[in-house]
Amino acid sequence: MSENGLAYELQRVSFAYHPDHPVLHEITLDIPSGSWVSLVGPNGCGKSTLAKLLGGLLAVNGGEIWVEGTRLDRDTVARLRPRIGMVFQNPDNQFIGATVEEDIAFGLEGRCLPREQMVERVKEYAEKMQIGHLLSKHPADLSGGQKQRVAVASILAMEPGIIIFDEASSMLDEKARGELLAILEEMQGSGNYTMVSITHDADEILASDRAIVLGGGSVVADLSPAELFEDGALLDSCRLIAPYRIRLKHAIRTRGLELPKELKLERG
Amino acid sequence: MSIDFEQVSFAYDEHSLWRNSALEQISLHLETGVFAGIAGASGSGKSTLMQHFNGILKPTEGKLRVLDVTMQAGDKAPPLRELRRRVGLVFQFPEQQLFEDTVEKDICFGPLNFGCTPDEAKQRARRALSLVGLDDSFLPRNPFHLSGGQMRKVAIASVLAMEPDIIALDEPAATLDPQSRSELASMLSRLHREEGKTVLVVTHRMEEILPFADQWIVMEDGHKSFQGSVKELVQEAGRLQASGLAIPDCIRYWNEVAAHYGLEEEEPCLTAESLADRLAVLSDQVGNAVTPLPKEEAPLGLETSREGDG
Amino acid sequence: MRNKLLFGRSIDTGSWVHGVDPRAKLTGMVLYLVAIVAVQSWIALAGVAIFSLAYMLSTRIPLKYYLKAAKPLWTLMVFIFIVQCLAVKEGPPLWQIGSWTLYQAGLSSGGIAALRMAMLVSFTAILTFTTTPGLLNQGMNGVLKPLRLIGISADRLTLMMSIALRFIPTILDETQKIVKAQAARGADLKELPWKEKGRMLVSLLVPVTVSAFRRAEELVLSMESRGYIIGAARSEYHYLAWRQRDTWFVVSYILLAVASVAYHWI
Repeated sequence: MSENGLAYELQRVSFAYHPDHPVLHEITLDIPSGSWVSLVGPNGCGKSTLAKLLGGLLAVNGGEIWVEGTRLDRDTVARLRPRIGMVFQNPDNQFIGATVEEDIAFGLEGRCLPREQMVERVKEYAEKMQIGHLLSKHPADLSGGQKQRVAVASILAMEPGIIIFDEASSMLDEKARGELLAILEEMQGSGNYTMVSITHDADEILASDRAIVLGGGSVVADLSPAELFEDGALLDSCRLIAPYRIRLKHAIRTRGLELPKELKLERG
Repeated sequence: MSIDFEQVSFAYDEHSLWRNSALEQISLHLETGVFAGIAGASGSGKSTLMQHFNGILKPTEGKLRVLDVTMQAGDKAPPLRELRRRVGLVFQFPEQQLFEDTVEKDICFGPLNFGCTPDEAKQRARRALSLVGLDDSFLPRNPFHLSGGQMRKVAIASVLAMEPDIIALDEPAATLDPQSRSELASMLSRLHREEGKTVLVVTHRMEEILPFADQWIVMEDGHKSFQGSVKELVQEAGRLQASGLAIPDCIRYWNEVAAHYGLEEEEPCLTAESLADRLAVLSDQVGNAVTPLPKEEAPLGLETSREGDG
Repeated sequence: MRNKLLFGRSIDTGSWVHGVDPRAKLTGMVLYLVAIVAVQSWIALAGVAIFSLAYMLSTRIPLKYYLKAAKPLWTLMVFIFIVQCLAVKEGPPLWQIGSWTLYQAGLSSGGIAALRMAMLVSFTAILTFTTTPGLLNQGMNGVLKPLRLIGISADRLTLMMSIALRFIPTILDETQKIVKAQAARGADLKELPWKEKGRMLVSLLVPVTVSAFRRAEELVLSMESRGYIIGAARSEYHYLAWRQRDTWFVVSYILLAVASVAYHWI
């Protein structure tokens, strides 16, 4: 961890795939270590690009990104990458190995970990993700939710301090989405991870510490998730919808009513 | 006219060692003109079921009648061309099936295959595009340069252009942003109400189409575990959980409210607005059953957002 | 659908053959190929068949799986059989249709050729049935290592192979879905006249290619974010240890190949 306790410091970060079409324009923000930040915004606002910059998969055109006190550049990216894990949207396209255990081991092989240690870690993190019984399975034999757990296990096994979730839950069904959210909450609870998630999922955003709203390549708002879901105009600009329980509360409130105490509106 | 399944079973790779049973003994009846939701966990057979509606898959056992075409396991397949036109199937991620270099050509592909003249096809393309809420300016554009949501709409229009009576969609809103999802659901409801189409939506996210669907089928492990009206679905919500689905919040809250006030026999209110309206009426009727919000009290916070974490 | 493909579909019965070093199995398969090529008589064929059967049984995988493995190639076998029957005109004539005569030697060598083919295909299935794809890669890597001497990197070759094996079934599945979707739009490959089939092919190739590229792109991102650098040193998750059993396994195949070749020449 860096001395100032920041996982990320972004200073006037700009990026363009093509000089005429800037994607991100002078973004400045800090992400403290151990926090969980949601990046939200409409499609095309540059949030996926920002995630790739944070993960070191793209290089900035202007400005600087500091990761745990070290400037991210061509020389440091290989050294910093082990600190940063990324989970992507399509569970199929990030399954590199031919079996679950090989997929989890893939990143570890690149670190030249001795075999005994790899076996140990594969086992440990597979068990944590409750896929310990699936180690020898081929991806074709797994459900989408299981594959996404494998992806998370593969990242956790590399023991990074920062994990970026790029729409990691959007291809999952409701149940698997709930399970992934529980995993994320547990990770946050452990205090060992800085998490950045790009998501449209209201429950996922609400579970995080902070929402950064991107629009047109800039930070439009930086606020608590609860505040975000109170702000109708901002929600519209992000193409988000508040969860049912919040909409119901608003609807009841605008009618000058209050729900009896026996009825509790809780997340399912 | 209707869709009737009589003891239909289906297995992939039927004559191989890897025979993989996907549907077992499904019997169901759907009248045309309905808006039906088909829910089920992944692997429950709901997509396989959908692919029977226009004969893309044919039953390996049992009998199936769609409109006036009958398919019986073991019999020679009847000509399916007309059925394919009348029953439009939108597969998952339909934007991944686009292939032409303009939106217009892609939408015309279906109508041309079904024997429309080029002019007719173009006219239909225009109309289909307007049905999904896109204007004519999209026609000459390259579909691969559109946003994900727009591509999805074009792909749905390419099926609508065949002017089917029945349109069946597999997870049509998957991976779209929440507002696009809800717009899509409203669009489907409009097709149902204004165009008189039979709309069948396969989904594991029931909440979005609950306000619109009048019929539900729940699949579990290749079997049909439920078929009935929305009201019946709400009353038997526990079944959803048994079938590996999450109970949508709007159903959970209605059931709580219904149990509290004894409204179980009513038509459920499944949107936030309709439920709030119902509560407002209750508060007038029962007096203080629903207590008015004291004026000086701070607005309800969102602290409950994390209550579920325990 | 995906299950039609035998790629990477190992069947774990925990037999001793499963535990044999994949390098030994790969070597054994090459030797088996030599033996099969040398088989020219029914006696030799019977010898190799007994050997094969013994190995198949010892994998404890039902024999019907091996038969199924050979099934996709049955047209090729029939073709080989017919060609041999037509070409070989030795021995006593058996049957005459018009100007064509079937000779005993033709029938015999046709039978041998077709059976050799069947045996080769079903026997090599032992390799895929008893070896997980990961071990197979590792074995391949080991066997290909000497290529380094001529400047070819075995690591890259095996990585390419493993990714191809991993994604071919996925892409075939997806192709099937696109075929269905286009059929639903009135372009059913089975019903279309020939000249339309070309157009239809375009409607398949474009989406399949686009999606394969998208997959590749995402896969590259995922590999890169897990620290993969081409050519960098890596440790190996599967640890291959050559044991005495593996030596005996290879020796049995050497004996088979030598016996078969010797029988052929002597």
